Amino acid sequence: MLVQLNFKSGKPVYLQVVDQVRSAAASGVLRPGELLPPIRVLAEQLRINRNTVAKAYTELESQGVIETVAGKGCLVSENNSPFKKEVRRKLLADDIDAAIVQSHHLQVDEKDFLRLVQERLEVFAEKNRINADKKQPGA
Amino acid sequence: MNTEPPVIEINHLVRKYGKAEAVNGLSIRVEAGKCHGFFGRNGAGKTTTIKCLLNLLQPTSGQVRVFGLDPHADEVAVKSRLAYVPDYVAFYPWMTVRDTLDYLASFRKEWNRTTEKELLGQFRLQPDQKAGALSKGQKTQLALVGAVCADPELLVLDEPTSGLDPIVRREFIETVIGTYQEGAPGRRTVFVSTHLIAEFEGLIDEFTIVENGRAVLAIGADEARSRYKKIRARFAGTPPAIDFVDADKVRQEGRELDITVNGNSEAVLERLKLLRPESVSVDSLTLEEIFVAAAK
Repeated sequence: MLVQLNFKSGKPVYLQVVDQVRSAAASGVLRPGELLPPIRVLAEQLRINRNTVAKAYTELESQGVIETVAGKGCLVSENNSPFKKEVRRKLLADDIDAAIVQSHHLQVDEKDFLRLVQERLEVFAEKNRINADKKQPGA
Repeated sequence: MNTEPPVIEINHLVRKYGKAEAVNGLSIRVEAGKCHGFFGRNGAGKTTTIKCLLNLLQPTSGQVRVFGLDPHADEVAVKSRLAYVPDYVAFYPWMTVRDTLDYLASFRKEWNRTTEKELLGQFRLQPDQKAGALSKGQKTQLALVGAVCADPELLVLDEPTSGLDPIVRREFIETVIGTYQEGAPGRRTVFVSTHLIAEFEGLIDEFTIVENGRAVLAIGADEARSRYKKIRARFAGTPPAIDFVDADKVRQEGRELDITVNGNSEAVLERLKLLRPESVSVDSLTLEEIFVAAAK
């Protein structure tokens, strides 16, 4: 299943949907142009309120992750954020700052931190390769 | 901006049966499009409140408004816009499923045949079955089909899943609510009383917990889960005896300390860490656990 919810995480349910779709798009589980399940179908699968799924899809659309095509539904966008490069850099910098703060408290030093970033980038690249192979059998 | 009246507005409702106060100063507000859970123990005043919404009972004092109207003075206007499924449903036993639905439809301006067909199929209800021969669960299903097909703006459900088997309960939650809300996304309001809270965990946008006829907690589901947390700390030896005055509940079991907090997990966690526990985990409470914590 595309999304797994955890009601004990304390994270709002719609944000869990948003983050997991974003992550699926980043790791190639969802490819550009691929359709997301209709709101009602996903709501019924996850046994959640359709309002919650609708809110998640609206958020994903405003972030440029998905787009709504009349008559078709919601599909994953070509990787183009609606924000200017400057803004995108700033948004990412905020998240990196949070990770740096966390690494300080977990006593992970600079060298280790950078190595870990490199490792994680490779994990995602690997996932993308695997998912690309799956989608093109025999290629 | 939003001048539309709330779908349900109850202010200081009191309803007495003789000297016994079933509802004692209850206030609730539900905006359009929300799925509102109404949680309480047996005898907390849930059904009495619902009956006041439907003009099946008159309030002793206080005010009840549905769509901004008085359910007593504007009974027809209110009832034509809502549907109600009580916890115990009864039909004319000599009518078939088809007759029953036609009979219910005859009271309504709108009747959604597409929804009717879809739900009858999903529930595997045969149109020519006699209502008297249906099981308790099938009768509830028939009542739900009858309620949703009228395309009401408000769906009032009183313990809708009690007496249903687990599979049917799942189907109910997955299909009935989904079908109903899909009719007019963002506009359809559900007011559901239940004590089987876990089953409605994902469906509930917000909820009111009622205890002894009063609201003890009214909150959004996401907010509730971010406020109510259980912190588990494991120590190397016996946990130090400390007084967490700001915790809701502290329980010690062997080398473990279970602390339930309401809204101040950061502060409690901070102090807990000074005691150097071996491990600490933080989980949100589920709505059912919040109910148990709030309605004790």
